Amino acid sequence: MTTVALPAATPRARRGLVERSIMPGFGLTMGFTVFYLSVIVLIPLSAVFITTAGMGFDGFVEVALSQRALYAYRLSFGAAAIAASINAVFGLVVAWVLVRYEFPGKRLVNALVDLPFALPTAVAGIALTALYAPNGWIGAWLAPHGIKVAFQPLGVVVALTFIGLPFVVRTVEPVLADLGPEVEEAAASLGAGRWQTFARVIWPAILPALATGFALAFARAVGEYGSVIFIAGNMPYKSEIAPLLIVMQLEQYNIPGATAIAATMLIASFVLLFAINLLQGWSRRRMAA
Amino acid sequence: MTVSAHNIVKHFGAFTALDDVSLEAQPGEFLALLGPSGSGKTTLLRIMAGLEFPDSGSICFDGVDVSTRPTRERAVGFVFQHYALFRHMTVAENVGFGLTVKPRAERPDAAAIRTRVNELLSLVQLGHLGDRYPSQLSGGQRQRVALARALAVNPNILLLDEPFGALDAKVRKDLRRWLREVHQTMKLTSVFVTHDQEEALDLADRVVVMNHGVIEQVDTPDAVYNRPASAFVCDFLGNANKLDCTITGGAIEIGGHRIENTAPPAADGRGIAFIRPHEFDVAADGQPGVAVTLRRLTRTGPMAALDCQTSAGALIEVTTLEPPAGLLPGAALTLVPRRVRAYAA
Repeated sequence: MTTVALPAATPRARRGLVERSIMPGFGLTMGFTVFYLSVIVLIPLSAVFITTAGMGFDGFVEVALSQRALYAYRLSFGAAAIAASINAVFGLVVAWVLVRYEFPGKRLVNALVDLPFALPTAVAGIALTALYAPNGWIGAWLAPHGIKVAFQPLGVVVALTFIGLPFVVRTVEPVLADLGPEVEEAAASLGAGRWQTFARVIWPAILPALATGFALAFARAVGEYGSVIFIAGNMPYKSEIAPLLIVMQLEQYNIPGATAIAATMLIASFVLLFAINLLQGWSRRRMAA
Repeated sequence: MTVSAHNIVKHFGAFTALDDVSLEAQPGEFLALLGPSGSGKTTLLRIMAGLEFPDSGSICFDGVDVSTRPTRERAVGFVFQHYALFRHMTVAENVGFGLTVKPRAERPDAAAIRTRVNELLSLVQLGHLGDRYPSQLSGGQRQRVALARALAVNPNILLLDEPFGALDAKVRKDLRRWLREVHQTMKLTSVFVTHDQEEALDLADRVVVMNHGVIEQVDTPDAVYNRPASAFVCDFLGNANKLDCTITGGAIEIGGHRIENTAPPAADGRGIAFIRPHEFDVAADGQPGVAVTLRRLTRTGPMAALDCQTSAGALIEVTTLEPPAGLLPGAALTLVPRRVRAYAA
């Protein structure tokens, strides 16, 4: 009797990286995803680095790490961080109100939250400038107290806060809604005060969502151009944002100069977002395994 | 601890959730609030807990009025239908939560908390799961964690809002038996809300039957089942045939058949008679009784179920151990009620 060599029993798919799945179309969808991300994200981004590489190290340092550029980075990242922090606090309050309370005009408030998403940023910039300029409605009130908003770094923060609000509200809202009043009632019945309930029960539950909202608002703010340039005043070394420097380089047909600044911002943003993501993953793992 | 509610009234907008409700739970008693949805049972429980405040009336613990005290000062253990566990805390942290939020002066040290948590976890038979997160537990286990958490702070009373409502039938039954045992060892005054009559009759020392914001009857499970105080209680508890009848001088007449001994006595006039399916004798056609036509006969285990119809068109469901032999749909029968409860219509 001869032994027939049977083919290896392991199914082909098991030998690869992919588990066999009942859902069809993995190859097609994965292929499309990679292609799409390449065309939309990776290739344009790599072009930034390739163009930058063409200018040599000295040229890069001269443009991307010039004194003026460093000031601009500081303003862009600093103002974005401040704006995202402000949004984290007040966006949380707005989300809280929208989830927990019923009041007349709630739907209107709900729609208003999304307005910064929908409004052309230039419109927002012009509106904010008109309001906060020393002769504007709000600016006229603030001027006698020595507070200047428009054409100052503070104006940049105001504009970035405006455009970042919906990110925090819309990421925290569903988590808060999902949390429900029951856990708060449970905490209260166990003797916890309002503050203890917030600190021990609500805060840990919404922290990952809040971090996501912060990261999104921050990322949006770092790259923001349209709404800022009107209110910032764009004074070099003072109220000039990094994206504006890029545009200025482009206007002088210095494309490598523009990409050098862009690449620097890109790396900085990536590192920051990656760090936030790590933090978030860590807190999520700690909370609900 | 004695827990009493006095003349509680609660409105939600135009809806009256509780209409002048008074109730007392004796020390160590296990009380069930039973009623259909919208009957106000959960609202009453939440008012006892201080999660809801009445428009008027008061709640007393051992005679002390606690109506204005917020939940956290009432020391009530509250168990929610959907557990309301803290998802970011382990089982042990959940159970110990009530101890760790105590004011510093009263707070036990970490070792004492750990001991107490372990004690409670073994009481709820989850001693080995202290390090898990709630998401890793089954529904029945989660509810036991919720109970351990509520018991950790040595509450005055234990309040449970549909504690088995989210569980499947088998788990529900096990947990019910287990809760009964826990109650017997702890001797804690407990009130639980349910819409499941079987659960209420099985668990409670006394059952409070509620409907439309008022209490219909408060009595032992046996009494509410066998001596229902109102048509609603009779209809809500157990399965009963509802038949139109005429009441004259304490006797009632159904479809030409007169029955003398009815309980409770009802005023003369038109009434509704309630007869449970097993409270009929099935006799041959022509005997004194309610004449019916058999429409369907089904056997479910030892009992046979007969769907009958009177000449007036009313449907009567009868269960009997021994149906007359050779019955076929369409056969004429006589039903003789052994026990009738009649209420004025």
